[in-house]
Amino acid sequence: MYQAVIIKKGQGGWGGPLVVKPNDKQKYIMSVTGGGIDPVAQKIADLTGATALDGFLSSAPDDEIACVVVDCGGTARCGVYPKKGILTINLTPVGQAGPLAKYMNEENYVSGVKQVNVSLFDGEVPEGETTKAENGGAKKEDYQKIKSQAKASAEKQPGFVGLISRIGKAVGGVVGKFYQAGREAIDMVIKNVLPFMAFIAMLIGIINVTGLGTLIANTISPFAGSLPGLILISIVCTIPFLSPILGPGAVIAQVVGTLVGVQIGAGAIAPALALPALFAIDGQVGCDFIPVGLSLGEAETETVEIGVPAVLFSRLITGPAAVLIGFVLSIGMYS
Amino acid sequence: MDFLAQLATNFIGLFQAGGETFVGLVTGIVPLLIVLMTAVNSLIKIIGEERVEKAAKFSSKNFILRYTVLPVLAMFFLTNPMAYTFGRFVEEKHKAAFYDSAVSFCHPITGLFPHANPGELFVYLGISAGITTLGLPVGDLAIRYFIAGVLVILLRGIVTERIYAVMASKKANAGVK
Repeated sequence: MYQAVIIKKGQGGWGGPLVVKPNDKQKYIMSVTGGGIDPVAQKIADLTGATALDGFLSSAPDDEIACVVVDCGGTARCGVYPKKGILTINLTPVGQAGPLAKYMNEENYVSGVKQVNVSLFDGEVPEGETTKAENGGAKKEDYQKIKSQAKASAEKQPGFVGLISRIGKAVGGVVGKFYQAGREAIDMVIKNVLPFMAFIAMLIGIINVTGLGTLIANTISPFAGSLPGLILISIVCTIPFLSPILGPGAVIAQVVGTLVGVQIGAGAIAPALALPALFAIDGQVGCDFIPVGLSLGEAETETVEIGVPAVLFSRLITGPAAVLIGFVLSIGMYS
Repeated sequence: MDFLAQLATNFIGLFQAGGETFVGLVTGIVPLLIVLMTAVNSLIKIIGEERVEKAAKFSSKNFILRYTVLPVLAMFFLTNPMAYTFGRFVEEKHKAAFYDSAVSFCHPITGLFPHANPGELFVYLGISAGITTLGLPVGDLAIRYFIAGVLVILLRGIVTERIYAVMASKKANAGVK
Protein backbone atom coordinates (compact mmCIF):
# COMPACT_ATOMS: atom_id res chain seq x y z
CA MET A 1 0.00 0.00 0.00
CA TYR A 2 1.45 3.32 -1.01
CA GLN A 3 1.23 6.53 1.03
CA ALA A 4 0.84 10.00 -0.40
CA VAL A 5 3.32 12.79 0.31
CA ILE A 6 3.02 16.50 -0.20
CA ILE A 7 6.04 18.40 -1.46
CA LYS A 8 6.15 22.14 -0.92
CA LYS A 9 8.51 24.60 -2.52
CA GLY A 10 11.62 25.43 -0.51
CA GLN A 11 13.30 28.75 0.12
CA GLY A 12 13.39 30.77 -3.09
CA GLY A 13 11.60 27.97 -4.88
CA TRP A 14 8.65 28.04 -7.22
CA GLY A 15 5.62 25.93 -8.06
CA GLY A 16 3.78 23.22 -6.21
CA PRO A 17 2.78 22.04 -3.74
CA LEU A 18 2.71 18.66 -5.41
CA VAL A 19 1.00 15.61 -4.03
CA VAL A 20 2.80 12.43 -5.03
CA LYS A 21 1.02 9.15 -4.58
CA PRO A 22 2.67 6.18 -6.26
CA ASN A 23 0.55 3.23 -7.28
CA ASP A 24 1.22 -0.29 -8.52
CA LYS A 25 2.08 1.00 -11.95
CA GLN A 26 3.79 4.26 -11.08
CA LYS A 27 6.06 2.87 -8.41
CA TYR A 28 9.42 4.57 -9.04
CA ILE A 29 10.91 7.77 -7.68
CA MET A 30 13.57 8.69 -10.23
CA SER A 31 16.59 10.65 -9.02
CA VAL A 32 18.33 12.29 -11.97
CA THR A 33 20.90 14.17 -9.94
CA GLY A 34 24.25 12.74 -11.06
CA GLY A 35 25.86 11.10 -8.06
CA GLY A 36 23.56 8.58 -6.46
CA ILE A 37 20.05 8.83 -5.11
CA ASP A 38 19.47 12.24 -3.59
CA PRO A 39 18.27 12.26 0.07
CA VAL A 40 15.10 14.06 -1.04
CA ALA A 41 14.29 11.27 -3.50
CA GLN A 42 15.09 8.71 -0.83
CA LYS A 43 12.81 10.42 1.66
CA ILE A 44 9.94 10.52 -0.81
CA ALA A 45 10.51 6.82 -1.51
CA ASP A 46 10.68 5.95 2.19
CA LEU A 47 7.52 7.86 3.06
CA THR A 48 5.47 6.63 0.13
CA GLY A 49 6.76 3.07 0.04
CA ALA A 50 7.88 3.46 -3.55
CA THR A 51 11.29 2.52 -4.95
CA ALA A 52 13.95 5.17 -5.50
CA LEU A 53 16.05 4.76 -8.63
CA ASP A 54 19.30 6.44 -9.65
CA GLY A 55 18.59 7.74 -13.12
CA PHE A 56 22.25 7.44 -14.05
CA LEU A 57 22.44 3.73 -13.27
CA SER A 58 18.99 2.49 -14.13
CA SER A 59 15.92 3.64 -15.89
CA ALA A 60 12.22 3.02 -16.03
CA PRO A 61 9.57 3.67 -18.66
CA ASP A 62 7.99 7.09 -18.28
CA ASP A 63 4.60 5.74 -17.31
CA GLU A 64 6.04 3.86 -14.32
CA ILE A 65 7.55 6.96 -12.75
CA ALA A 66 5.60 8.56 -9.91
CA CYS A 67 7.83 11.61 -9.83
CA VAL A 68 11.34 12.64 -10.72
CA VAL A 69 13.91 14.51 -8.59
CA VAL A 70 16.39 16.68 -10.52
CA ASP A 71 19.04 19.28 -9.68
CA CYS A 72 18.63 21.39 -12.77
CA GLY A 73 20.04 24.88 -12.96
CA GLY A 74 17.33 26.04 -15.33
CA THR A 75 18.16 24.82 -18.81
CA ALA A 76 16.88 21.44 -19.75
CA ARG A 77 15.89 18.85 -17.18
CA CYS A 78 13.52 21.17 -15.33
CA GLY A 79 11.42 21.40 -18.50
CA VAL A 80 11.86 18.00 -20.10
CA TYR A 81 9.92 16.07 -17.47
CA PRO A 82 7.04 18.52 -17.16
CA LYS A 83 6.79 18.34 -20.96
CA LYS A 84 6.47 14.57 -20.70
CA GLY A 85 3.79 15.01 -18.03
CA ILE A 86 5.91 13.67 -15.16
CA LEU A 87 5.76 15.41 -11.77
CA THR A 88 9.11 17.15 -11.31
CA ILE A 89 10.87 18.08 -8.08
CA ASN A 90 13.87 20.36 -8.58
CA LEU A 91 16.36 20.68 -5.72
CA THR A 92 17.63 23.95 -7.20
CA PRO A 93 15.38 26.96 -6.68
CA VAL A 94 14.57 27.60 -10.32
CA GLY A 95 11.28 29.01 -11.59
CA GLN A 96 9.82 28.66 -15.05
CA ALA A 97 13.04 28.78 -17.06
CA GLY A 98 14.78 27.31 -20.05
CA PRO A 99 13.55 26.61 -23.54
CA LEU A 100 10.78 24.34 -22.26
CA ALA A 101 9.51 26.81 -19.63
CA LYS A 102 6.05 26.90 -21.13
CA TYR A 103 5.47 23.30 -20.06
CA MET A 104 6.26 24.00 -16.43
CA ASN A 105 3.41 24.94 -14.14
CA GLU A 106 2.43 24.83 -10.49
CA GLU A 107 0.67 21.49 -10.97
CA ASN A 108 3.66 19.57 -12.36
CA TYR A 109 6.70 21.32 -10.95
CA VAL A 110 8.12 22.41 -7.61
CA SER A 111 11.62 23.72 -6.91
CA GLY A 112 14.06 24.62 -4.16
CA VAL A 113 12.99 21.46 -2.36
CA LYS A 114 14.87 20.19 0.69
CA GLN A 115 14.10 17.18 2.84
CA VAL A 116 12.04 19.29 5.29
CA ASN A 117 9.68 20.27 2.47
CA VAL A 118 8.57 16.66 2.05
CA SER A 119 5.90 15.40 4.40
CA LEU A 120 3.14 12.82 4.55
CA PHE A 121 -0.14 13.96 3.08
CA ASP A 122 -3.24 12.77 4.89
CA GLY A 123 -5.91 14.51 2.88
CA GLU A 124 -7.99 12.94 0.15
CA VAL A 125 -5.96 12.20 -2.95
CA PRO A 126 -8.03 12.64 -6.04
CA GLU A 127 -7.05 10.05 -8.61
CA GLY A 128 -6.52 13.11 -10.68
CA GLU A 129 -3.31 12.98 -12.61
CA THR A 130 -4.38 10.72 -15.40
CA THR A 131 -7.90 12.10 -15.69
CA LYS A 132 -6.55 15.62 -15.80
CA ALA A 133 -4.26 14.71 -18.64
CA GLU A 134 -7.10 13.04 -20.50
CA ASN A 135 -9.28 16.11 -20.17
CA GLY A 136 -6.50 18.24 -21.53
CA GLY A 137 -6.11 15.90 -24.46
CA ALA A 138 -9.81 15.90 -25.23
CA LYS A 139 -9.94 19.66 -25.19
CA LYS A 140 -7.12 19.84 -27.67
CA GLU A 141 -8.85 17.37 -29.92
CA ASP A 142 -12.05 19.42 -29.88
CA TYR A 143 -10.04 22.47 -30.75
CA GLN A 144 -8.35 20.66 -33.63
CA LYS A 145 -11.73 19.48 -34.87
CA ILE A 146 -13.21 22.97 -34.80
CA LYS A 147 -10.14 24.32 -36.50
CA SER A 148 -10.24 21.75 -39.29
CA GLN A 149 -14.00 22.33 -39.76
CA ALA A 150 -13.34 26.04 -40.13
CA LYS A 151 -10.59 25.29 -42.60
CA ALA A 152 -12.86 23.00 -44.61
CA SER A 153 -15.64 25.57 -44.81
CA ALA A 154 -13.18 28.21 -45.97
CA GLU A 155 -11.85 25.91 -48.67
CA LYS A 156 -15.35 25.12 -49.92
CA GLN A 157 -16.05 28.67 -51.08
CA PRO A 158 -16.03 28.67 -54.87
CA GLY A 159 -14.75 31.18 -57.41
CA PHE A 160 -13.13 34.52 -56.88
CA VAL A 161 -14.02 34.91 -53.21
CA GLY A 162 -12.58 31.48 -52.55
CA LEU A 163 -9.37 32.37 -54.35
CA ILE A 164 -8.97 35.60 -52.40
CA SER A 165 -9.61 33.88 -49.14
CA ARG A 166 -7.09 31.14 -50.02
CA ILE A 167 -4.41 33.71 -50.86
CA GLY A 168 -5.27 35.65 -47.74
CA LYS A 169 -4.94 32.52 -45.65
CA ALA A 170 -1.63 31.56 -47.22
CA VAL A 171 -0.16 35.02 -46.68
CA GLY A 172 -1.58 35.13 -43.19
CA GLY A 173 -0.02 31.75 -42.51
CA VAL A 174 3.45 32.85 -43.57
CA VAL A 175 3.25 36.18 -41.78
CA GLY A 176 1.98 34.38 -38.73
CA LYS A 177 5.02 32.13 -38.82
CA PHE A 178 7.41 35.07 -39.01
CA TYR A 179 5.61 36.82 -36.21
CA GLN A 180 5.66 33.73 -34.03
CA ALA A 181 9.37 33.29 -34.81
CA GLY A 182 10.01 36.84 -33.65
CA ARG A 183 8.03 36.28 -30.50
CA GLU A 184 10.02 33.14 -29.72
CA ALA A 185 13.32 34.93 -30.36
CA ILE A 186 12.42 37.77 -27.99
CA ASP A 187 11.18 35.29 -25.43
CA MET A 188 14.42 33.33 -25.60
CA VAL A 189 16.53 36.45 -25.24
CA ILE A 190 14.58 37.65 -22.22
CA LYS A 191 14.33 34.30 -20.47
CA ASN A 192 17.69 32.72 -21.30
CA VAL A 193 20.18 35.15 -22.80
CA LEU A 194 19.80 38.37 -20.82
CA PRO A 195 19.90 36.74 -17.36
CA PHE A 196 23.18 35.05 -18.22
CA MET A 197 24.54 38.27 -19.70
CA ALA A 198 23.73 40.02 -16.43
CA PHE A 199 25.62 37.36 -14.51
CA ILE A 200 28.63 37.46 -16.84
CA ALA A 201 28.69 41.28 -16.84
CA MET A 202 28.74 41.35 -13.04
CA LEU A 203 31.51 38.78 -12.99
CA ILE A 204 33.69 40.60 -15.52
CA GLY A 205 33.06 43.93 -13.78
CA ILE A 206 34.16 42.61 -10.40
CA ILE A 207 37.18 40.83 -11.87
CA ASN A 208 38.37 43.93 -13.71
CA VAL A 209 37.88 46.37 -10.84
CA THR A 210 39.21 44.32 -7.95
CA GLY A 211 42.38 43.09 -9.58
CA LEU A 212 41.23 39.49 -9.38
CA GLY A 213 42.04 39.52 -13.07
CA THR A 214 45.78 39.34 -12.42
CA LEU A 215 45.31 36.44 -10.06
CA ILE A 216 43.17 34.56 -12.59
CA ALA A 217 45.61 35.37 -15.38
CA ASN A 218 48.43 33.87 -13.37
CA THR A 219 46.38 30.75 -12.63
CA ILE A 220 44.67 30.15 -15.95
CA SER A 221 47.12 31.39 -18.57
CA PRO A 222 49.81 28.74 -18.00
CA PHE A 223 47.15 26.07 -18.60
CA ALA A 224 44.96 27.67 -21.24
CA GLY A 225 47.92 29.25 -23.01
CA SER A 226 49.57 26.09 -24.32
CA LEU A 227 48.47 22.90 -26.06
CA PRO A 228 49.62 20.50 -23.30
CA GLY A 229 47.86 22.69 -20.74
CA LEU A 230 44.64 22.60 -22.75
CA ILE A 231 44.84 18.82 -23.04
CA LEU A 232 45.30 18.63 -19.28
CA ILE A 233 42.16 20.76 -18.77
CA SER A 234 40.19 18.48 -21.10
CA ILE A 235 41.34 15.39 -19.20
CA VAL A 236 40.20 16.89 -15.89
CA CYS A 237 36.84 17.85 -17.40
CA THR A 238 36.23 14.34 -18.72
CA ILE A 239 37.07 12.28 -15.61
CA PRO A 240 33.94 10.12 -15.40
CA PHE A 241 32.96 11.05 -11.84
CA LEU A 242 33.66 14.75 -12.40
CA SER A 243 32.05 15.25 -15.79
CA PRO A 244 28.41 14.86 -14.65
CA ILE A 245 29.04 17.38 -11.86
CA LEU A 246 30.72 19.91 -14.16
CA GLY A 247 27.95 19.66 -16.74
CA PRO A 248 24.71 21.29 -15.54
CA GLY A 249 23.62 24.24 -17.66
CA ALA A 250 27.16 24.45 -19.03
CA VAL A 251 27.58 27.12 -16.33
CA ILE A 252 31.17 26.15 -15.55
CA ALA A 253 32.15 25.97 -19.22
CA GLN A 254 30.56 29.39 -19.78
CA VAL A 255 32.32 31.01 -16.84
CA VAL A 256 35.69 29.48 -17.74
CA GLY A 257 35.10 30.43 -21.37
CA THR A 258 34.54 34.03 -20.32
CA LEU A 259 37.70 34.04 -18.19
CA VAL A 260 39.76 32.60 -21.05
CA GLY A 261 38.20 35.17 -23.38
CA VAL A 262 39.26 38.00 -21.08
CA GLN A 263 42.82 36.64 -21.13
CA ILE A 264 42.83 36.38 -24.93
CA GLY A 265 41.62 39.99 -25.07
CA ALA A 266 44.42 41.00 -22.70
CA GLY A 267 46.99 39.31 -24.92
CA ALA A 268 48.01 36.70 -22.35
CA ILE A 269 46.78 33.83 -24.54
CA ALA A 270 47.34 33.60 -28.30
CA PRO A 271 44.10 34.13 -30.30
CA ALA A 272 44.70 30.98 -32.35
CA LEU A 273 44.36 28.92 -29.18
CA ALA A 274 40.73 30.06 -28.90
CA LEU A 275 39.62 27.07 -30.99
CA PRO A 276 41.33 24.26 -29.05
CA ALA A 277 40.36 26.07 -25.83
CA LEU A 278 36.68 25.87 -26.84
CA PHE A 279 36.97 22.08 -26.85
CA ALA A 280 39.21 21.86 -23.77
CA ILE A 281 36.70 23.57 -21.49
CA ASP A 282 33.77 21.63 -22.90
CA GLY A 283 34.79 17.97 -22.68
CA GLN A 284 32.05 17.40 -20.12
CA VAL A 285 29.27 18.73 -22.34
CA GLY A 286 26.00 16.91 -21.73
CA CYS A 287 27.47 14.40 -19.27
CA ASP A 288 24.92 15.52 -16.68
CA PHE A 289 22.11 14.85 -19.11
CA ILE A 290 22.83 11.39 -20.56
CA PRO A 291 19.87 9.45 -19.08
CA VAL A 292 17.44 12.24 -19.96
CA GLY A 293 18.84 12.65 -23.46
CA LEU A 294 18.62 8.92 -24.05
CA SER A 295 15.06 8.73 -22.82
CA LEU A 296 14.18 11.62 -25.15
CA GLY A 297 15.53 9.38 -27.92
CA GLU A 298 13.16 6.64 -26.70
CA ALA A 299 15.98 4.37 -25.57
CA GLU A 300 15.22 1.17 -23.66
CA THR A 301 16.09 0.84 -19.99
CA GLU A 302 19.09 -1.40 -20.69
CA THR A 303 20.44 1.01 -23.27
CA VAL A 304 20.49 3.73 -20.61
CA GLU A 305 22.25 1.45 -18.14
CA ILE A 306 25.10 0.70 -20.53
CA GLY A 307 24.91 3.98 -22.41
CA VAL A 308 25.70 6.24 -19.45
CA PRO A 309 29.09 4.69 -18.59
CA ALA A 310 29.85 4.18 -22.29
CA VAL A 311 29.53 7.91 -22.98
CA LEU A 312 31.43 8.87 -19.81
CA PHE A 313 34.37 6.59 -20.64
CA SER A 314 34.37 7.55 -24.29
CA ARG A 315 34.89 11.18 -23.30
CA LEU A 316 38.25 10.31 -21.71
CA ILE A 317 39.44 9.48 -25.23
CA THR A 318 37.46 11.94 -27.30
CA GLY A 319 37.90 14.90 -24.92
CA PRO A 320 41.66 15.30 -25.46
CA ALA A 321 41.24 14.21 -29.09
CA ALA A 322 38.79 17.07 -29.62
CA VAL A 323 41.42 19.53 -28.36
CA LEU A 324 43.88 18.12 -30.91
CA ILE A 325 41.32 18.41 -33.72
CA GLY A 326 40.68 22.00 -32.65
CA PHE A 327 44.41 22.68 -32.59
CA VAL A 328 44.98 21.29 -36.08
CA LEU A 329 42.05 23.29 -37.47
CA SER A 330 43.30 26.45 -35.77
CA ILE A 331 46.48 26.43 -37.85
CA GLY A 332 46.61 29.61 -39.86
CA MET A 333 43.90 31.35 -37.86
CA TYR A 334 44.68 34.98 -36.89
CA SER A 335 48.30 34.65 -37.89
CA MET B 1 32.11 60.38 6.96
CA ASP B 2 34.56 60.86 4.12
CA PHE B 3 35.67 57.32 4.63
CA LEU B 4 32.09 56.06 4.35
CA ALA B 5 31.52 58.13 1.22
CA GLN B 6 34.70 56.72 -0.32
CA LEU B 7 33.54 53.23 0.56
CA ALA B 8 30.19 53.83 -1.10
CA THR B 9 31.89 55.17 -4.24
CA ASN B 10 34.12 52.11 -4.47
CA PHE B 11 31.17 49.84 -3.87
CA ILE B 12 29.13 51.46 -6.63
CA GLY B 13 32.19 51.51 -8.90
CA LEU B 14 32.42 47.75 -8.63
CA PHE B 15 29.05 47.43 -10.33
CA GLN B 16 29.39 50.37 -12.67
CA ALA B 17 32.10 48.42 -14.47
CA GLY B 18 29.72 45.46 -14.66
CA GLY B 19 26.97 47.73 -15.95
CA GLU B 20 29.19 48.99 -18.74
CA THR B 21 30.06 45.44 -19.71
CA PHE B 22 26.36 44.61 -19.70
CA VAL B 23 25.49 47.52 -21.99
CA GLY B 24 28.32 46.43 -24.29
CA LEU B 25 26.93 42.90 -24.48
CA VAL B 26 23.35 44.06 -24.98
CA THR B 27 24.11 46.57 -27.74
CA GLY B 28 26.82 44.45 -29.35
CA ILE B 29 25.23 41.03 -29.39
CA VAL B 30 21.51 41.11 -28.62
CA PRO B 31 20.22 42.99 -31.73
CA LEU B 32 21.99 40.61 -34.14
CA LEU B 33 20.95 37.66 -32.03
CA ILE B 34 17.26 38.61 -32.07
CA VAL B 35 17.09 39.17 -35.83
CA LEU B 36 19.13 36.06 -36.61
CA MET B 37 17.03 33.92 -34.28
CA THR B 38 13.83 35.29 -35.84
CA ALA B 39 15.08 34.46 -39.34
CA VAL B 40 16.17 30.95 -38.46
CA ASN B 41 13.03 30.26 -36.42
CA SER B 42 10.93 31.33 -39.43
CA LEU B 43 12.94 29.10 -41.75
CA ILE B 44 12.41 26.15 -39.42
CA LYS B 45 8.66 26.79 -39.27
CA ILE B 46 8.38 27.14 -43.04
CA ILE B 47 10.38 23.98 -43.77
CA GLY B 48 8.44 22.10 -41.13
CA GLU B 49 9.39 19.18 -38.93
CA GLU B 50 8.02 16.51 -41.28
CA ARG B 51 10.45 17.21 -44.07
CA VAL B 52 13.35 17.22 -41.64
CA GLU B 53 12.25 13.88 -40.29
CA LYS B 54 12.53 12.36 -43.75
CA ALA B 55 16.12 13.53 -44.04
CA ALA B 56 16.76 12.31 -40.51
CA LYS B 57 15.46 8.82 -41.30
CA PHE B 58 17.64 8.68 -44.38
CA SER B 59 20.81 9.77 -42.62
CA SER B 60 20.38 7.38 -39.70
CA LYS B 61 21.44 4.34 -41.75
CA ASN B 62 25.03 5.20 -42.63
CA PHE B 63 27.55 5.68 -39.81
CA ILE B 64 29.16 8.81 -41.23
CA LEU B 65 25.85 10.56 -41.84
CA ARG B 66 24.54 9.29 -38.50
CA TYR B 67 27.20 11.16 -36.56
CA THR B 68 27.45 14.24 -38.79
CA VAL B 69 24.31 15.13 -40.74
CA LEU B 70 21.80 13.69 -38.28
CA PRO B 71 23.06 15.53 -35.16
CA VAL B 72 23.54 18.77 -37.10
CA LEU B 73 19.99 18.59 -38.48
CA ALA B 74 18.66 17.72 -35.04
CA MET B 75 20.45 20.62 -33.34
CA PHE B 76 19.57 23.12 -36.06
CA PHE B 77 15.89 22.27 -36.38
CA LEU B 78 14.90 20.99 -32.95
CA THR B 79 17.55 22.83 -30.84
CA ASN B 80 18.79 21.85 -27.40
CA PRO B 81 17.32 19.82 -25.64
CA MET B 82 14.66 18.49 -28.04
CA ALA B 83 17.37 17.54 -30.59
CA TYR B 84 17.95 14.28 -28.72
CA THR B 85 14.47 13.07 -29.68
CA PHE B 86 15.99 12.27 -33.10
CA GLY B 87 17.58 9.35 -31.26
CA ARG B 88 14.37 7.52 -32.07
CA PHE B 89 15.47 7.19 -35.71
CA VAL B 90 18.62 5.20 -34.91
CA GLU B 91 18.92 1.59 -33.79
CA GLU B 92 18.94 0.82 -30.09
CA LYS B 93 22.67 0.02 -30.06
CA HIS B 94 23.49 3.36 -31.65
CA LYS B 95 21.42 5.55 -29.35
CA ALA B 96 24.14 6.27 -26.78
CA ALA B 97 26.60 7.17 -29.54
CA PHE B 98 24.04 9.40 -31.23
CA TYR B 99 23.33 11.23 -27.98
CA ASP B 100 27.05 11.74 -27.36
CA SER B 101 27.46 13.04 -30.88
CA ALA B 102 24.41 15.34 -30.80
CA VAL B 103 25.04 16.84 -27.38
CA SER B 104 28.64 17.59 -28.32
CA PHE B 105 27.37 19.81 -31.12
CA CYS B 106 25.22 22.00 -28.89
CA HIS B 107 28.03 24.55 -28.47
CA PRO B 108 29.97 24.38 -31.80
CA ILE B 109 26.72 25.30 -33.58
CA THR B 110 26.19 28.47 -31.55
CA GLY B 111 28.98 30.39 -33.28
CA LEU B 112 26.94 30.48 -36.48
CA PHE B 113 23.42 29.61 -35.29
CA PRO B 114 22.86 30.84 -31.74
CA HIS B 115 19.15 29.96 -31.86
CA ALA B 116 20.10 26.31 -31.30
CA ASN B 117 21.18 26.82 -27.71
CA PRO B 118 20.53 30.39 -26.54
CA GLY B 119 20.81 29.47 -22.86
CA GLU B 120 24.46 28.43 -23.16
CA LEU B 121 25.89 30.98 -25.57
CA PHE B 122 28.81 32.04 -23.42
CA VAL B 123 30.88 28.92 -23.97
CA TYR B 124 31.50 30.40 -27.42
CA LEU B 125 30.71 34.08 -26.75
CA GLY B 126 32.96 34.19 -23.70
CA ILE B 127 35.99 33.14 -25.74
CA SER B 128 35.05 35.00 -28.93
CA ALA B 129 34.69 38.20 -26.87
CA GLY B 130 38.47 38.05 -26.43
CA ILE B 131 38.92 37.93 -30.21
CA THR B 132 36.60 40.93 -30.56
CA THR B 133 38.61 42.83 -27.94
CA LEU B 134 41.71 42.33 -30.08
CA GLY B 135 39.85 43.83 -33.03
CA LEU B 136 39.99 40.59 -35.05
CA PRO B 137 37.01 39.25 -37.03
CA VAL B 138 35.16 36.41 -35.27
CA GLY B 139 33.84 34.83 -38.48
CA ASP B 140 36.99 32.78 -38.87
CA LEU B 141 36.64 31.32 -35.37
CA ALA B 142 32.90 30.64 -35.80
CA ILE B 143 33.27 28.69 -39.05
CA ARG B 144 36.30 26.74 -37.83
CA TYR B 145 34.48 25.91 -34.57
CA PHE B 146 31.57 24.57 -36.65
CA ILE B 147 33.82 22.42 -38.88
CA ALA B 148 35.94 21.14 -36.01
CA GLY B 149 32.68 20.43 -34.17
CA VAL B 150 31.47 18.20 -37.00
CA LEU B 151 34.76 16.26 -36.95
CA VAL B 152 34.62 15.91 -33.17
CA ILE B 153 31.04 14.61 -33.12
CA LEU B 154 31.89 12.08 -35.85
CA LEU B 155 34.80 10.83 -33.74
CA ARG B 156 32.65 10.80 -30.56
CA GLY B 157 29.93 8.84 -32.34
CA ILE B 158 32.35 6.21 -33.65
CA VAL B 159 34.28 5.79 -30.39
CA THR B 160 31.18 5.66 -28.19
CA GLU B 161 29.52 3.19 -30.56
CA ARG B 162 32.56 0.87 -30.19
CA ILE B 163 32.72 1.23 -26.39
CA TYR B 164 28.99 0.63 -26.11
CA ALA B 165 29.27 -2.52 -28.26
CA VAL B 166 32.11 -3.90 -26.10
CA MET B 167 30.26 -3.15 -22.84
CA ALA B 168 27.00 -4.60 -24.14
CA SER B 169 28.67 -7.85 -25.23
CA LYS B 170 30.48 -8.16 -21.88
CA LYS B 171 27.22 -7.70 -20.07
CA ALA B 172 25.54 -10.30 -22.28
CA ASN B 173 28.37 -12.78 -21.57
CA ALA B 174 28.12 -12.15 -17.83
CA GLY B 175 24.40 -12.85 -18.09
CA VAL B 176 25.03 -16.24 -19.72
CA LYS B 177 27.41 -17.36 -17.00
